[in-house]
Order: sequence, then structure tokens, then C-alpha cells
Amino acid sequence: MENFLEIKELKKSFGNGETKQDVLRGMDFTVKKGEFCVLLGPSGSGKSTLLNIIGGIDTPDSGYVSINGDKLEDMSEKQLTQYRRKHLGYVFQMYNLIPNLNVKENIEVGAYLSDNPLDVEEVITTLGLQDHKYKYPNQLSGGQQQRVSIGRAVVKNPDILMCDEPTGALDYKTSKEILSLIEDCNRKYNSTIIMVTHNEAIKYMADHVIKLRDGVVRHNDINDKKIPASELDW
Amino acid sequence: MRNPLIKRIPKELLSEWHKYIVIILFMILMIGLVSGMYVGHDSMLASIEKGKEKLNLEDGSFELNKKASEELIAGIESGEMADVRQYYIDEGMKEADKEVEKAAREELQIQVEDNIKQMVRAQCEDYGITDEQIIENKTQEAMGENLESALKEAKESDEYKKTIEEAKGEAHKEVEKKVDEKWDEIAAEYGLNDEGFESVSIKVYDDFYRNENEDFDNDGTTDATIRIFSDDVEIDKAEIIEGKAPETDNEIAIDRMHADNVGVKVGDTITVGVKQFEVVGLLSYVNYLTLHESNTDLMFDAFGFDVAMMTPEGFDSLSSRVHYNYAYLYDEKPADKEAESDYAENFLKSLVTQTLVNDNKIEGFLPEYIRQASNFAPSDIEGDTTGTGILCYILIAVIAFIFAITIGNTIEKEATVIGTLRASGYTKGELVFHYMSMPFIVTLIGAVLGNILGYTLFEDVAVNLYYESYSLPACGIVWSPVALVKTTVIPLILMFFINLFVIINKLKLSPLKFLRRDLKRTKHSKAKRIPSWSFLARFRLRNVFQNLPNYFLLIFGVIFIELMLSFAFGVPDSLTNYKEKAPSMIFADYQYMLMGSEDDDGNEIVTSEESAERFSTASLMYPKDEHQTFREGFGSGEDESVTVYGIIPDSRYVDIGKGLSQDEVYISSAFASKFDIKEGNTITLHEEYENKKYHFAVKGVVEYDGGVAVFMPNEEFNRVFDKKEGDFSGYFSENKINDIDDKYIAIVITVDDITKVTRQLEHSMGSMFEVFKYVLVVLAAALIYLLTKIIIEKNENAISMVKILGFKNGEIASLYIVPTAIIVVLVSILSFVVGFFLMIYIFKIFMMSMDGWFEFCMKPVSMMLSIVYLLVGYAVVSVIDYIRIRRIPMSDALKNVE
Repeated sequence: MENFLEIKELKKSFGNGETKQDVLRGMDFTVKKGEFCVLLGPSGSGKSTLLNIIGGIDTPDSGYVSINGDKLEDMSEKQLTQYRRKHLGYVFQMYNLIPNLNVKENIEVGAYLSDNPLDVEEVITTLGLQDHKYKYPNQLSGGQQQRVSIGRAVVKNPDILMCDEPTGALDYKTSKEILSLIEDCNRKYNSTIIMVTHNEAIKYMADHVIKLRDGVVRHNDINDKKIPASELDW
Repeated sequence: MRNPLIKRIPKELLSEWHKYIVIILFMILMIGLVSGMYVGHDSMLASIEKGKEKLNLEDGSFELNKKASEELIAGIESGEMADVRQYYIDEGMKEADKEVEKAAREELQIQVEDNIKQMVRAQCEDYGITDEQIIENKTQEAMGENLESALKEAKESDEYKKTIEEAKGEAHKEVEKKVDEKWDEIAAEYGLNDEGFESVSIKVYDDFYRNENEDFDNDGTTDATIRIFSDDVEIDKAEIIEGKAPETDNEIAIDRMHADNVGVKVGDTITVGVKQFEVVGLLSYVNYLTLHESNTDLMFDAFGFDVAMMTPEGFDSLSSRVHYNYAYLYDEKPADKEAESDYAENFLKSLVTQTLVNDNKIEGFLPEYIRQASNFAPSDIEGDTTGTGILCYILIAVIAFIFAITIGNTIEKEATVIGTLRASGYTKGELVFHYMSMPFIVTLIGAVLGNILGYTLFEDVAVNLYYESYSLPACGIVWSPVALVKTTVIPLILMFFINLFVIINKLKLSPLKFLRRDLKRTKHSKAKRIPSWSFLARFRLRNVFQNLPNYFLLIFGVIFIELMLSFAFGVPDSLTNYKEKAPSMIFADYQYMLMGSEDDDGNEIVTSEESAERFSTASLMYPKDEHQTFREGFGSGEDESVTVYGIIPDSRYVDIGKGLSQDEVYISSAFASKFDIKEGNTITLHEEYENKKYHFAVKGVVEYDGGVAVFMPNEEFNRVFDKKEGDFSGYFSENKINDIDDKYIAIVITVDDITKVTRQLEHSMGSMFEVFKYVLVVLAAALIYLLTKIIIEKNENAISMVKILGFKNGEIASLYIVPTAIIVVLVSILSFVVGFFLMIYIFKIFMMSMDGWFEFCMKPVSMMLSIVYLLVGYAVVSVIDYIRIRRIPMSDALKNVE
């Protein structure tokens, strides 16, 4: 498989002088197309900052991120928006659903952005949300909300699905269901998945595991013995 | 320890400074404006009151045909009715004595001459002279020598004296008999048998004036009528506002308002009559706060009328006739308005009799309380503040609701924090207090700064506004406790209760619910299903549903602003409309009101003018509130003054058809509109000062918007009002009538009299309306700004999120700005309609409190503009909103903040 995402010498710090804090201190790795990549690390390891930079929301101090050969640093604000619009799907720990739209409409938010979206009804069925599609987010459980969030991300049929601690706020059982869904998306739609988590157990379902600590890559492993999400245990 | 939460307040103020700046500025402006109006109003009224005392305002005035004798002044001052009977008897006796003496003298002369003739003839016969010629010559000779002495002797004889006395006695008896015979007629004419009469003693002051032609630009044409008083009067004095009082006989001080209007300044020269005078001062006469030339003028006229002061020498140097105007003060002030009216009535009776017995004639009489020139301005100033106060409270209530919505959103945002604090032991009261402090502090800042502005800048604005309209005395600021209450206490109370209600309601939930962010009480209600429109359309509709409270507040605010815009556009339009319709507001080009229908010789006043047509007129009152008892409106000006016209058959000026039966009348369209009176209704009118009622059946409406009027046939008029047959009050005419002596004409009404109302109003208020329009647009923009800010803040996370997902700023704006834009456009149109009709309703109520009728109207272009102005204000806000949306960082959604 060819390299789809390339991270090169990525550095990022916050603050000045004595309060300066280096969050990313020269990070290098690549991710292949269709790969399920897990960024693993404790709190403060820089994984969310890294995700923001990959998402074109934040910019590095030095180094670069390249997607399919296109460097993000060369892109204008408009191009970055187009990049997110056409290539990225986002799943957050706290779902970030739009509170005044119902389930179906929240998924349509993603579909609207895509040139070749998946069928919204089909996604709703896949996610097991048929009975809830006219409910507002505040009428759903955390797991249901996260399903909607995944639906909104995958309905775009994105090249990369970015998941920021998607199970962070969920219980064990629901977490496994959500992980299975993400796994399904990876398999079914061949989306590249980049998932930020601090849950070590999740690495077993990934193709590629990158362990971060103190702003650098500590381990960069390819997992040959993937196990399905449903079999994970923690 | 102080509640540590309070430390959030300054931080919140700083971090949200732009929002609070708008709110505080808004409050400062509103409160400042109202405070300024109140302070200006109180100061102005105080200085008017002070002026009344300092400048010795009259209690009334009257004008006599010639200078009053000392006896007459003494009689008038006594307030007693003169002994009219004795006057008639004295006059009769004087006349009779003259007649008796004349007759006796003539008789005596004949007798003495006969005696002399007989004596001469007897003597001649004794001497044998028979020639008649000689006898005649001798007789003439004897006459020349003895007639005078013989007459003298005869006059001194007791017999003659006795005869004279007897004759006079007879004549006197005859006079008394005649007076007694005619007494009832005389007594009725002068109200001499009025048992309710009480004498009102007064002090009379000379307040003579001359009316001259004023030519202020010295171009040889008359520009105005100028009424000149001498500076040595002791009553109704003037305050010099600028410059000085005249000191030489070629100096003059004129009214400040008139000078401002026509552009005359101190140092300029104006022509008065045929002489030029230097304007050395600008003044305000205490009895001419508005320049009403005549008390019956519909409107004052500061362009065409002026009052002025000259030295006595200057005054004497003028050539026009002196108006013997006398002002008076009651020795004992009347207790109230009703007493004042009784005083005036009694005094008038005294005045009539006193002038009669002193051989003078009343030209005019005007008690001060109905004097327009001194009462119009204060009552108008009074009315202004009420309107401004209501305006302020509505806006503060709107701000209070904006605060309430903002705080409601903050509480939702901070739900988990509130839950934690409540769980930690903070009481609901402490949290209510915390969330209440911001609106309270902001209102307090607004009130304090607003009041400071009110007492400085806006007070000047208000006072200048009044100065632009009226000839007011100089004004000093007075402390207004009413202003403080109305501009500080009431806004704080409004802010307090509205927010308290909302916040207590929001904080009702249990700590657990807050911790779970479970704030919706209707959690399980079904989500609203909406039509299957395009995704973006549905998204926008959802945004509308989400922000309904904001939009309701917006609707309320916009209706209010549209109402004000209707006012700002409508009143000038109504003035223009009035001006355009003025020619139809007068029955004929000239309407001559006569002093009476007969001239000095008792002949009917006639004219050869072909278009002239007689009419009669009387004034009655119509109760404004049907349920109000008659007494409440008694002489207090509470009731509507109705002009009753008597119209000749087949009138060319007023068509009331034929076949009106007794007590059937037509009414003017203004009367019908103002009081919703329809054909077939019965109206009850009453005399202003007497308890006498008239019932009329309305048979039809005459298209006439010039006044509240009733029309009936002239004959019927004379019957209803007990007039002599053929009596009338004046003439309608298409052309000027030249053959009636001016002294018989009380007033001439022409189209110019109608339009001078609008000329003056346009001058007084024209610029104010322009400023007001822009203030309203800013106000509307500020209101929409605050409400849309709340909408965007509420959706910051969602906006941040969709940005991350790849929505473009334009798309996001279309989701969050377009719904508001559509709402604003729809609401503007709807609010305009509501505001317009509300304005018509308010205008009608306003007109109810005044005499007369003025139709409210708005031109189509003004209707469009009042919507466009508001939309322009919104356009500016939407640009700010767009910038605000662009600035929302994507990191907001990434923070994953609970």
C-alpha cells in the first residue's frame, strides 16, 4: 500500500519564554491508505494537537503534513476548508452534534458536504438508529449520540476518518459497539482511520499503532495480528 | 467571606465588553434622553413659573375703546357691579332736565318778548302813534334795551323757579317710570339679577400696545405684525434673553423666537411702521410664551407675528392707534381652576357694567387661564415627557429580556458548574444573586451615567428643543426628583423583576439535573417534524425554532421601532397632507366673523359682495367620555369644543340638503371620525359655562376636516339659541369683502390661517423628526445586534463544528444569518403594518386629549422607507454577524468541553 499521510519533522509549541511548552518535538510517521491507525499516548503526549494539525485546524511551527502528496502548509484557508470538506470525517469524544437538528439531519450535515455521499437512510440503518432518526441529540444516550457522530462522519465517504477518543465518554459495552462500527466503516468503505486514544486495548484492532510520549513517536508498529473490536477486552 | 463568584463579574464585563458596551450605551442614551427630557421639562416649567412671579404675569386682561378714566379704573378695581339703574336714571334725568330747561327758556323768551311788545304798543297808543313801522322800530329798540334784564328778572322770579322744578319733577318721574318699564330687559342684558354674583376686587395696570407693520429686512414690504409695548409697564414684563432693553427712542427689543425664525440679530435694524429701529435686545414676554396674535388663532405664528419693547418715548413716536389694553391681578388669588372660572365670570359682569356707566366700551376680555399665548407652551411641554418615559420603559424592558435570554443561555452553558456548586452547598439564592448582579450593575451604570448626561448634555438638548419652538424665558437647571425615580428606580425595578423571574425559573431544577445537563423539562416530547425541504432550508428552519424567544423579542422590539418610525415619518407626512388639504378645510376663501349683526346705528351689516353668504355660529361642548359626568368637564377644557353653524337654505358653501326637521343636524367628517359618530346617532352638546344641554339627531356628514362642527339651518339655529329672527354671525365669501367697516369685523379666517399651523409645526419639529429617524435606526440595529449575538453565541460550538467538517463561512452564514434576515424582513413588514395601525390608534387617543382634528397619514414612499431604514440598520448588523461567525475558532469544538 502507498503512503497516504506523511508527517515529517512536525514541531509545535505553545506559550513563550519560561512558559513555553513543546507539545510536538519532531514527529515523523506515515500512514497508508485504508489503514486503521491508532495514536496511543497518555494525556499531554500531544496526540490531540497532532490530530488538529492533520485536520488542518492548527498549524505546526515547523515540519509538515502531507496528504496524498499535498502539503497542508501550502494550502490557503479556502483550500484547507475544501480539504476538510472533501477528505476528512471527524468523530469526537463528546460527539459535538448540532443540538437543534434531529438524528437524520445531523447525519445530513455530513452528507451535504460530500460529492459522493453514502445513502443517509442506509447509514442510519447500519448504525441501528432507525427508531431514533427524528430525535434530537438530547433525547439520545451517549452511545446513540456517538453513533450519530460516526454516521455524520462516514456518510461523507471520507478518505480519512479522524476519531478523537471516540469511546472516552462511553461505557465498556457501548465502547465496543462503537469501535465495531468504526471497524466496519474501515472495512466497508476503505476509509483511512486515525484514532486518538489512551486506551491500550484498542491497539489490538488497528493495522498501525503509533505510541506517543512527550511530543515524539516512541513506537511505530505495524500490527499483523489484528483482532476484531468485538473481541477486545479491558 | 464575600461570595467569590462576584469576581466573575468584572471578568465577564471585560471579556464580553463589546456586548456590554452596546447595552450600556443603549441604556445611557435612553436614560440620558428621558432624564434630559424630565430635567429639561422640570427646569423649563420651573423657570416659566418663576417668570410668572418675577415678571408679574396678569390674571387676565381687557381692552377698552378709549383710555379709562380714574373713576372707571376705581370702579373696575372694586369688582362691584356698577349701579346700572341709577346710571340709566341719571342719564335720563340729565337729558330730561336739559329738555325741561330748554322748553322753559323758550317759553319764557316768548312771554317776555310778548310783554315788551304789548308795553311798547300801549305806550305808543298813549302818545297817539299808530304807524306800525314806528311801533315795530320802538319795539326792537325796547327789546334791545330791556330783553336781557327782563329775562333775567323773570328767571329769578319764584314763580319761574317753581314752574321749572315742577316740570323737572314730572320729567324725573317719567324717566324712572321708563327705566322701570325697561328694567327687566336691561338687567337680563347685563346679568344684573344674578344671585350668584360675588364681587372680585382687582388691581388694574396699564398694558397699552400698538400693532405696527414690521419690515425686518427693510425691503419695503410688510413681513409681520409687531405688537409693541412700552418698557414702563408694571405687569406682563419681559425677560431680556440677549442684548439689553431699549434705552433710547430709536432702540427696540423684539421676541427671541421671532428673531431666530426670521434671522434678525442684535445690532440689526428693522422697520416698524415708517421708522427704523435698532434691535438692541431679544426678549421673552411672560404673557407671550407662544406668539399667538389672537387667542382664537388655531396655532401661534412666530414668523408673521412679533412682540416688542420700546422706551415710552419710542412708543409715543409711533403713529398707529394705541390699544387701551389693561391687565389685572386679583387681590385674592382663586383657589382652583373652577374658582378661577367663576372669578372671571363675575369680573366680566363688573367690567361690563363699569365701562357702561363710565361711558367706555370693551373691545376684548381674556382671563389668563384660557390665554393660549401663555398656556400653550407649558401644557405642551407637560405632554412630551409622558411619551418619552413610556418609550424608555419599553426599551428597558426589551433590554431586560435580552439580558434574561443571555443569562438563560449562560446557565445552560454552565449547567455542570451550577450543578457542582449546588452539590457543594451553594444555595439557589446565592446563584440567583450572582446571575442577577450583571444586569443590575449594568443598569446602574447606565442609570448613573445616563443621569449625568441627562443633567448636562441632554438637558440642553431638551431645553433647546423647547427654545426652538417657544419664546421661553432663560432656564436654569432644577433638581428633578421625579426624573431620578423615573430614570433610575423604575429601570432598576424593571430589570430586577424580569431577570429574577427568568433566572429563578431556570434555576428551579435539581443539582443532579444540572450535573447531567438535563435542563429540558420537556425532554421526551417529540421533535418537531418539518417539511421535506432541502437540507439547508430545514437546517435554517431548525435555527428559527431554536431561537423563537429571541425572535419574539425581536418582533416586539421591531414593532415598537416601526411604531416610532411611523411616528417619525407619519407626522411630517400628516402635516404635508394637512397643508395640501387646507383649502378644503375652509368653507369659503374668506370667512368673516362679525362683532355683531348690526352696526352702531342698529342697522343690519350688509355687503354688496355677490358671493357673500350669511352664516351663524356658536360654540358648544361635546363630552369626550360619554360616561364622564357633565360636572367633571365643566369649564375645565376637558370636553371637545364644537362649533355649531347655522347655514342658510341652498347654501353655496355647505350642503346640508333640505328637509331637516327640528333638532336634526349634519356634522363635519372630522367630528364623525374623531368620535365614531354615524348617521342616525344622537349627540348631546352642552354650553361651556352653563348647565344647558342640547340633543341633536345626526342626519348626515359634511365632508369637512377643518374642525369639529355641527351644521343646521340658520332659522333652526336662531330658534335653538334664542336669537332674533334673521340674526347671523358673519359671512362666507369667495372674495375679499371691502364694504364692511373693520371695526365690525371680529376675525377673518383664510386658508393662510389654516396653513400657518403646519408652517409653525414644521419649523418647530421638522429637524427633530430627521434626527429621530436615525436614532431609531441605530436603536433597531443595536437591538438586532444584541439578539443575533445571542443566537450566534448559543451556536458557537455548532458553528465551530461545521467549520471543522468543512462548511464554508458563506454556508455557515447562510445557516445562521439568513433565517434572521428572513425573519427581520418579514417582521419589518408585519411590524410596520402593526406599528402603523397602532400609531393611528395612538394618534386618535392623542387627538382626543386635544381640541380639533388632525388626520394621521403616511405616504407610500414613507411606508417603504420606514421598512428600508430598518433593513439598512440590519444590513450593518449582518455584516458584523458575518465577521463574528468567521472569527469563531474551530478549536472550540475540539476542546470537548462539557
